[in-house]
Amino acid sequence: MGFSRDEEKDLKLNKNKTIVVALAGNPNSGKTSLFNELVGANQKVGNWAGVTIEKYEGIVKYKGYDIKMVDLPGTYSLTAYSPEEVLARHFIIEEKPDVVINVLDGTNIERNLYLTSQLMELKANILIALNMYDEVEKSGNIINIKLLQQLLGSHIIPTSAVKKTGITSLLDHVIRVYTGDIIIAKNKLTYSVRLEEGIERIVEVLNTQEELKARYVLRWLAIKLLEYDQEIYKLVKEYPVWIRVEQIILNIIELLKIDKSEDSETIIAEDRNAFIRGAIKETVIFKEIKRKSVTEWIDTILINRVLGLPIFMLIMWMVFQFTFALGEWPMKWIESIFHYIGNIAIGVIPPGIIRSIIVDAVISGVGGVIVFLPNILLLFIALSFLEGTGYMARAAFVVDKIMHKMGLHGKSFLPMITGFGCSIPAIMATRTLKNRSDRLVTMMIIPFMSCGAKLPVYVLLISAFFKPSVAGNVLFGIYLFGVFVAVVSAKLLKTAMFKCESEPFVMELPPYRLPTMKSILFQARYKAEMYLRKAGTIILGASILIWFASNYPVNSQLNQTYNQEIEKIVQTTTYDKEVKEKMVHKIQLEKESKNLEHSFSGMAGKLVEPIIRPLGFDWRTGVAIIMGLAAKEVVVSTLGTIYSIGEVSGESVDLAKKLQDDPHFTTATALSLMVFVLLYIPCIATMSVFKKESGSWKLIGIYSAYAMSVAWIASFIVYRASIFLGLGS
Amino acid sequence: MDITLDTLCSGTKAEILRVGASGEIRRRLLDMGVVKGTHIKVVRVAPLGDPIEIHIKGFNLSLRKEEAKTILVKVLGTVGDGKPMGGFFKRRRKGSEIE
Repeated sequence: MGFSRDEEKDLKLNKNKTIVVALAGNPNSGKTSLFNELVGANQKVGNWAGVTIEKYEGIVKYKGYDIKMVDLPGTYSLTAYSPEEVLARHFIIEEKPDVVINVLDGTNIERNLYLTSQLMELKANILIALNMYDEVEKSGNIINIKLLQQLLGSHIIPTSAVKKTGITSLLDHVIRVYTGDIIIAKNKLTYSVRLEEGIERIVEVLNTQEELKARYVLRWLAIKLLEYDQEIYKLVKEYPVWIRVEQIILNIIELLKIDKSEDSETIIAEDRNAFIRGAIKETVIFKEIKRKSVTEWIDTILINRVLGLPIFMLIMWMVFQFTFALGEWPMKWIESIFHYIGNIAIGVIPPGIIRSIIVDAVISGVGGVIVFLPNILLLFIALSFLEGTGYMARAAFVVDKIMHKMGLHGKSFLPMITGFGCSIPAIMATRTLKNRSDRLVTMMIIPFMSCGAKLPVYVLLISAFFKPSVAGNVLFGIYLFGVFVAVVSAKLLKTAMFKCESEPFVMELPPYRLPTMKSILFQARYKAEMYLRKAGTIILGASILIWFASNYPVNSQLNQTYNQEIEKIVQTTTYDKEVKEKMVHKIQLEKESKNLEHSFSGMAGKLVEPIIRPLGFDWRTGVAIIMGLAAKEVVVSTLGTIYSIGEVSGESVDLAKKLQDDPHFTTATALSLMVFVLLYIPCIATMSVFKKESGSWKLIGIYSAYAMSVAWIASFIVYRASIFLGLGS
Repeated sequence: MDITLDTLCSGTKAEILRVGASGEIRRRLLDMGVVKGTHIKVVRVAPLGDPIEIHIKGFNLSLRKEEAKTILVKVLGTVGDGKPMGGFFKRRRKGSEIE
């Protein structure tokens, strides 16, 4: 949190008047829109400590008070199963916000009140924002707010984030609760007699433990214990009273089994639901609906049994096109801008190490970071739109069967598809997956979906070693092979690393709504900032490192020899100017090639040669593979440098020709290299995003080892099989 | 007679008798209001035959057949475009063809 408890206390004493308010509510309750309306542009986005769940907070200045709003993650309940729910309840227990605004979707009030019933048990100062009230009025349903207020004990303020109504009234109520003008009644939900007896007995025992008494609402602890809440079990087990508590719990469970032939967890849930049912029956008059709602109409088309899948495919294709086809233009502009800046730098800075660092490492490194921005922005605009409208849940609904077979969740599909464009936005998009193991597995298989940067490598090798008539099939085969490895890996990783830890597919299909432009752009902007800030620094650092590895150590003797040779040509008079320039150029390239051979990268290439020899690669390919860690398309340019493409006296020799002419480089080698480039660890930019999103170096290690082994084994098999098929010469 | 939720075809209205499953899945179901006595309506089956969508307490919920299998129900009748129970098997076969 922003400040510690003590400081907070001081602020109150000094009448500095900071009110801490937490917003709690179901997903799709319009909580985030309401938060945006409340705090406006004064919001900060960060991460909750230790988890990749976004934390939104902001300060509203109202009537001389500073109201600090914290938007808790949207949850349906407060169990220990999901990190979001644990986070929300921890915040309420530990940080003790002055007011908890419980945002309810007025059009879906019964389900939404379930969370309210749990917040009541935490004895928080609850204010209820009855959101989407405009829709409630439009639907013709009538809610007796006064009566509902009495039943719940909290004030209810009708709001609408879309129509911007009820906002000031809500803020007024916050201040009134803070100043003690309104006392929250803290009504309690009463459970069936047996349970209440049990709760009372547990509370009695817990009451003897001063520390627990001081920090927690004992009744809540007792209820959670009877719900088998793992976290609370762990907590209470730390105290000596546990032995007595455990006995009581076992006793109550036994009694309930005899009484109702159900376990306590179910009875608690049933009682909560019954309480809400009763409250709704007394306070809400539902208007009978005769016509199909808009959502039902849309759904009869969009997730229709026949059309559902084709429409889904079409929408995915549109997202892909929107992200990558539209993103290509700004990417080109960015590239040319950095090229331009590089040229200016070359003109201004005298040749030497400094120029080389600035032009080849810093400018191209920064360019390499920023070039992905258009993709990230566009993808997240598309994603927040799909999420905001409610289609994302439908998309998961449509493909879940396929994804479930792979051991994943329906929501993994979109990030995987995005991986065909670029792994970076794809990995960032896995945030839509709430379950950590689903998310990690999806992140780990995304790089196997062949990204756009690998295409130049395939194009070079296919054009060099395959007839144009089969080129398309080979290319398609490579992509398909990537998908195949992804599917197998998902299954493998899921069973090996994250056993039976899947998100249950119990998911709400919310009504379709049009998201606000503001929230879409906000999300996209935030993602872009996050990428630049966190990933950018690592990518930049790594680019400089790679530059260093391929330029050092400097072999001055080698340079001298070449420079002398160049000097010699320049001084002779036998050739005319044009031929001279060409000869100098050729020697320059040869010099670069030799320098690379003697650099750290070259040494590394030679060092790994024994390992990659069985795949048909020599040290030159080794260097290309190592350099490819910067970005996959660099494999091509590195091969170009090593094979020193040159145009000598009008005779044009391109890289494809050079590779063909190399007796060690066969069709088998080409296939092997394509498979290797497809599967081995992705570029540094992807790795840094992976690190950022997974939050663990250990996982990076496991993942790298996995990707490298898969790449080696697959390439080995492909190479040997190709030789067997006679492609080795 | 034991009828489980996964065998109902779209349009069928039913009352929940008992929720099976265990652990997190059970918890999620209970939290979403899938408890004894609640009335539900099966809205549709996904294009590939799984998961299913049900209408419950004024909102729509999707769950896999795997989970629906553990939920015991009493059929209350069909509404709207509901098709007779026999049709389910036909459609189920069709669904598996799509795979």
